[in-house]
Amino acid sequence: MWPRIQYYCPCMSGSNLQTPPPPTLTSSSASFHPLHNLYFCEECDAVRCNRCVSVEVSGYYCPNCLFEVPSASVRAEKNRCARNCFSCPICRSTLSVVASDPPDDGDGRPSASLGNVGEAPYFLYCGHCRWDSAEVNITFEKPTGLAAQLQKFEDSAPESLEFERLKEHFEPFLRTSSLTSSSHLPAMSSHHLHPSSATAAASAALARDIPGVGKYNPLARSRAGRDRTANKDEMPEYKSRVETAVFSQLGGGGDDADVDLLRHMETVEEVAKLEQRWGNSWTTPPRSSDLRPHRIPLHSKVSKRCPACRHILIKPEQKAQSVRYKIKLVAANYLPAITVGFPQTGATKRMAGKVPSSGTDAKSGIMHAGTSNPFQLALTNPLYDPIQVRLSPQRVADGRSYQVSLPTSPFSVAAFAEAWEYDDDEDMFGVEDDELGIGTDTGRSVRDKAPRGRLKNVGILERKANVTVVGGEVNIKPGFKGNVKFNMMVSYTYRSDDPLPSEDGVGTPSRTTKVPEVKTFSFYTAVDLGSSMVSNDDKPADV
Amino acid sequence: MPPIRDKFTIHSKAVVCQDVDLKGDITIGPGSVIHPKATIFALGGPIVIGSGCIIEEAAVIVNRHKEVMRIGDNNLFEIGCRVESPSIGNNNTISTRARVHHTVRISNYCVIGVGCLVVPTQDETLDEYTSVYGPAAEKRIWSGRGKVQEADLRNKHGEYLREMLPKFNRLRRGDGA
Repeated sequence: MWPRIQYYCPCMSGSNLQTPPPPTLTSSSASFHPLHNLYFCEECDAVRCNRCVSVEVSGYYCPNCLFEVPSASVRAEKNRCARNCFSCPICRSTLSVVASDPPDDGDGRPSASLGNVGEAPYFLYCGHCRWDSAEVNITFEKPTGLAAQLQKFEDSAPESLEFERLKEHFEPFLRTSSLTSSSHLPAMSSHHLHPSSATAAASAALARDIPGVGKYNPLARSRAGRDRTANKDEMPEYKSRVETAVFSQLGGGGDDADVDLLRHMETVEEVAKLEQRWGNSWTTPPRSSDLRPHRIPLHSKVSKRCPACRHILIKPEQKAQSVRYKIKLVAANYLPAITVGFPQTGATKRMAGKVPSSGTDAKSGIMHAGTSNPFQLALTNPLYDPIQVRLSPQRVADGRSYQVSLPTSPFSVAAFAEAWEYDDDEDMFGVEDDELGIGTDTGRSVRDKAPRGRLKNVGILERKANVTVVGGEVNIKPGFKGNVKFNMMVSYTYRSDDPLPSEDGVGTPSRTTKVPEVKTFSFYTAVDLGSSMVSNDDKPADV
Repeated sequence: MPPIRDKFTIHSKAVVCQDVDLKGDITIGPGSVIHPKATIFALGGPIVIGSGCIIEEAAVIVNRHKEVMRIGDNNLFEIGCRVESPSIGNNNTISTRARVHHTVRISNYCVIGVGCLVVPTQDETLDEYTSVYGPAAEKRIWSGRGKVQEADLRNKHGEYLREMLPKFNRLRRGDGA
């Protein structure tokens, strides 16, 4: 997918706003994100990404019935829906409960209209692949409370019983060790700036001594060692309910039986696929015809916090049906959205690009090595105030590869207004020009706004509503192969009506004060223009 | 190839909308419902459709072979499916936007899932109760449980359409009528 642009989150580098790593490094991809994945903390005035935010679960729900599961019962229900939601073991679509057919009266045709009569053995039925639970001998007397009815099977599985016994066995140790480990807690979390209750609980759980498991902790080694010896004294030996060897035979009947099974296999479909099996908690039979329905796994709604100031960046509404957010500080509302493109889009021009007589030197779509290739950046302003933008591409380290030229003087992007979402009025552009005093580019740019005027490639090409299109050029040295990528710092100046300059927040700049405060925010982006085409190679790289 | 002679034989109990694209020698049995914008082309040989079939909008049924293409009873061709199968039994469902090639013969109680491509290179007959599903067009055999209810539903579906479609669409009559 080229060309594309990604935004830089400085969380990987030590201090704020360091220069990002060169985008040609493979490792840099972790620091660059698409704009829609980023958040913006108003308090810190910084971009935050999914990697650096701290995540808290704000609720669990079943994706099928949208029931909100209280977090207390999530563990008891083993993270799966405990109502009537099941997924097909074969194709993983949702199963529905259906009644059995009335007894056949011979000719296979219903004698009269059946109506809604449901006959007693109910079973689960997949409308997609037509699997039904009667194939694995699961039927129900009532069409309600199926999970509870199935629970009996689940709980009576030998693995499940063993697991319960293990839990019982370790319960007293966990309780005592959680008491002792609470004394570890302050030391463990001292380097956390603001431990919330959730992270404190998590770190306590991590710091807890697991009986019988050696914990690597050089600081608390002596202590843990003492604990362990103490535990060893208390802990009676655990006796397995069944022999371990028996477990290997639970699934398919042991190694020999599995081999035998495979020997007599005729089609690949008879073996359960990995994706059909790995959602199961216990060993599953290798034959796809033996698979059982799953309860549908729960989903969670999460809220995310800024790692530095602990302010919430995004918080969904509690209700599972709702797709709104109570708090939503996404970067798209603060930073100008930039899209990269090549002039003259469309396949026709791409075809024309191959013909040398196409006139202009704009060989569009695909870049050619050894020439200068134009590209365009469209900046969209999400703020209610006009902004002044300055683009400064980072110098490419390797001089033999390519050079990027972009307009260096600042230019303006008009303010966002809801009305522009609906009509693209021709006379709206340029209204907010020269508000903050801009370079000489502006006057010219408005004139050659028309896409026909292709006299120059570098500069402001088009201005419409809250979008400004600027052109740039990349000069690719002959013989260069690989993707053309460069970092670009984008600084934008906006009018802030925040009375305190120390509180460097963007705010919602809708109210206007008498003395507008001008502020600048800078962020880095990585522009990937795709690969260049070596001449005479007419295979397009990006289709 | 000789020019295609149109010859439509439509049973008086069948509901065939005016706005269907028919070509060639086509016979439509009693109680069958053909929605507007359906296409049935008997290019090579004739097409014979049995009773109680429902052919929905934008479904395409083509016979390019010389032999008669026989479609049995109570089949459902959902919106936008394309079928060139030389023979289709009874009580089959071809789901939305599924495609069945001329190499496949369909027996009875088969289901071709939504968007499935059934395009084997060699001639093949789908066994009874075959269900084709998923993006890879996997096959499995349906147990047949619930088929009575499904047949009943199909029946009611047809009944409803036979009642409602003529109220809003002009109907086409056969050549004989």
